[in-house]
Amino acid sequence: MWESLNLKDVVALARDPYPSIRQWARDTGKKVVGSTIADVPEEVIYAFDLLPVTILGTHKPLKKAPSHLPDNACSLARSNLELALSYEGDLFSGFVLPQVCDTTQHLSDIWRINFPDKFVTSYLAPRQADRPSARYWVKEEIERLIDSLGGWLGKKLDSGALANSIALHNENKTILKEFYEIKRNFPGAITNKQFFAMMKVSQQVDKAEFNKSLKAIKDGLKMKKGKNYTDVVMVGITCDPPEIFDIFDDLRVNIVGDTLVTGTRYLQGAPALNGDAIDALADRHFKRGFFSPIHDNVYKNFEEVKKLYKETKAKAVIYVHIEFCESQEYDLPDLKDMIKKEGIPMHVLDTEYQTTSLSHVLTRAQAFFESLKGGSL
Amino acid sequence: MNDKLTSKQLSKKITDEYMEDAFHAHDNNKLVGYTTAISPVEIFVAHDIVPIYPENHAVANLTAKKGVELCSVVEGMGYTSHLCAYARSDLGYRKTGVTVTRGIPDPDLFLACNAQCFTLTKWFQVLARRGDLPVFVFDTPEHILDQKARKEIVKYCVLQLKELISFLEKVTKRKFDYDRLKEVMKYSAASSILYKKFLDMAQYKPSPISIFDALIGMAIAVYRRGTQECVDYYQTLCNEIQAKVDQGIGVLPKDQEKYRLYWENLPVWFKFSDHAKLLGSYGGVILTSLYVHAWSFEFDLNKDPLETLAENYVNRFSNSTIEDRADMAMDLFKKYSMNGMIMFMNRSCKAVSFAVPTLKEVLTKRTGIPALVFESDMGDQRFYAESQVRTRIEAYFETLDRLGLAQKTAAA
Repeated sequence: MWESLNLKDVVALARDPYPSIRQWARDTGKKVVGSTIADVPEEVIYAFDLLPVTILGTHKPLKKAPSHLPDNACSLARSNLELALSYEGDLFSGFVLPQVCDTTQHLSDIWRINFPDKFVTSYLAPRQADRPSARYWVKEEIERLIDSLGGWLGKKLDSGALANSIALHNENKTILKEFYEIKRNFPGAITNKQFFAMMKVSQQVDKAEFNKSLKAIKDGLKMKKGKNYTDVVMVGITCDPPEIFDIFDDLRVNIVGDTLVTGTRYLQGAPALNGDAIDALADRHFKRGFFSPIHDNVYKNFEEVKKLYKETKAKAVIYVHIEFCESQEYDLPDLKDMIKKEGIPMHVLDTEYQTTSLSHVLTRAQAFFESLKGGSL
Repeated sequence: MNDKLTSKQLSKKITDEYMEDAFHAHDNNKLVGYTTAISPVEIFVAHDIVPIYPENHAVANLTAKKGVELCSVVEGMGYTSHLCAYARSDLGYRKTGVTVTRGIPDPDLFLACNAQCFTLTKWFQVLARRGDLPVFVFDTPEHILDQKARKEIVKYCVLQLKELISFLEKVTKRKFDYDRLKEVMKYSAASSILYKKFLDMAQYKPSPISIFDALIGMAIAVYRRGTQECVDYYQTLCNEIQAKVDQGIGVLPKDQEKYRLYWENLPVWFKFSDHAKLLGSYGGVILTSLYVHAWSFEFDLNKDPLETLAENYVNRFSNSTIEDRADMAMDLFKKYSMNGMIMFMNRSCKAVSFAVPTLKEVLTKRTGIPALVFESDMGDQRFYAESQVRTRIEAYFETLDRLGLAQKTAAA
């Protein structure tokens, strides 16, 4: 089903993957397990012959979520809850919900109470990452996840299946990194929207099939340099709606690096295949980049952004702020100051899941890039 | 000498001495550690680090209606208006120096325990960046329902407490004294028992205390637990309240106490006394909340101190599942014979408030009592609609009257 997709198909799939996932589940008879961001080891879920799907909001209207989470809750959390409560809940046999902040902690409880007949478990990511206890805890949580899934399904995890799952996921990430490299050097070959659609779909469909599509797409790409592109680094957690990438594409802005949880951070720290698989998955947690809720090293974000900016020779930093993300909102004023002091041009893009009008984003982005170039684009 | 002082006088004396000690900490070769109100401060006390709670200072300013002035300054610095009013007013204080107290001493280090909330961790990180100071995050995963997982969570927390001790030894260049910790734990355990006894006196009819007394009374438990004076204070307070009970003195006279109410969330600090008067005029007394019980620890002195600390700090209401929070609230409903509930959706406190809609559903179903839900902010007056809140309170009591719930107690 996902073996022979072209780029256009991938973009359409990224927009609304659920009809396709639903069809796939019917065809294969396999169960679908949803997770929210971040850091759930999807390899473990896949190794149990389940389809792990990262839930990244819905563009359909909010109906039920507001009665559970007020309007000052993170829009991604409300959107995810709405997706499960109103639109796609029946597709999922279970959920593995990571807790990384106050909102996600409550979201897990609300989710569990609203789906009493489904498998719902929390993944309690450590909210500190620089001490030995964090590593101990990540491993404990991975083992607990394995036990929980095993208990639900009535079977033990096959170590060979886990190794194969890790290999398959690593392969997916390797291909996506290759795409990123092409995108950096040949912005005319692949648009921002197409690239981030591939990233998103990779987190939502069976990689055994999708990797084949990715390889074929890569082989068929025409390496076009394109002209007048402005290279930027995108910083944040997620970027939605996907039409934001259309704006960047229209302005000939090329994202050459990012720190998104649904972007580069997803690709970082491929688990090694030549040792204990659980240790390798635990190690991966600490090889990933900055994620505001779990890192207490307050300068790590800035150092990473600066490094990425320099390495990619980008012209500016675009910070994607999700409305009501408390974690970002405490970090942002100081991060802005640090970036400004470094002389790096920075544009803050305020967005919200369920946003329908992007005219303000377009106007502000146009103004920023015009000023960056010292004139009209 | 303390025997002669009233609890109010004793509270003032303890607080004055504590702040004096804090302001002269460096003169006495001590460090000042900022920490969260729910954190294993016993470790600080045992290591002679003076704990300072920016939340308490924020409460003083917010109660004195300084919220708008201080928060506005911070919003001008790029922080959004929907962040915690404690954090915003504190950052405003740092910027302007405006305070209704003498202020608080600057920190040398931070201990953020996320059993209370994640906001404090982020707030402390902002403060730490200003002085390039060390922050220790005591990470307490949610006290989930899985019993096996709970044991693992405690192990993880014990590991972190050992890391905290190493961190403090490194910062202070002094060896940690475990015997001293055992002594501190004895005081903490004793004062917690007395504090809980004080809160539980709201069981009496008429209740000798309201939640407003509890909110004032809890201060010493927050910032002086782990000391002999804290034990003395609660003993004095319990004796005083018991004397009221013996004389049948209630917040309202017995024949006027119609509604014994549960409050969910922190208070609206700047409306503290107004709410007490308004509710009282309808025969309502708010008796308790899970919030004031957050410092009712049950330390087991027969266990390793680090283990009992981990167990107690991880299972606070603010770190519990909504199911457990509902059970905790139900226990209070039964124990205190409550017949009404006010559920406050506090824009400042996401950690507590995002559970409120679900909790309200569960509690109204289990008690058969309707709930009054209102949204506002604990410290930022711009989010408080006076007439709307007043109207809702009036309508709520009318509903309770119509349902004939006066002086009825909650169903099981």
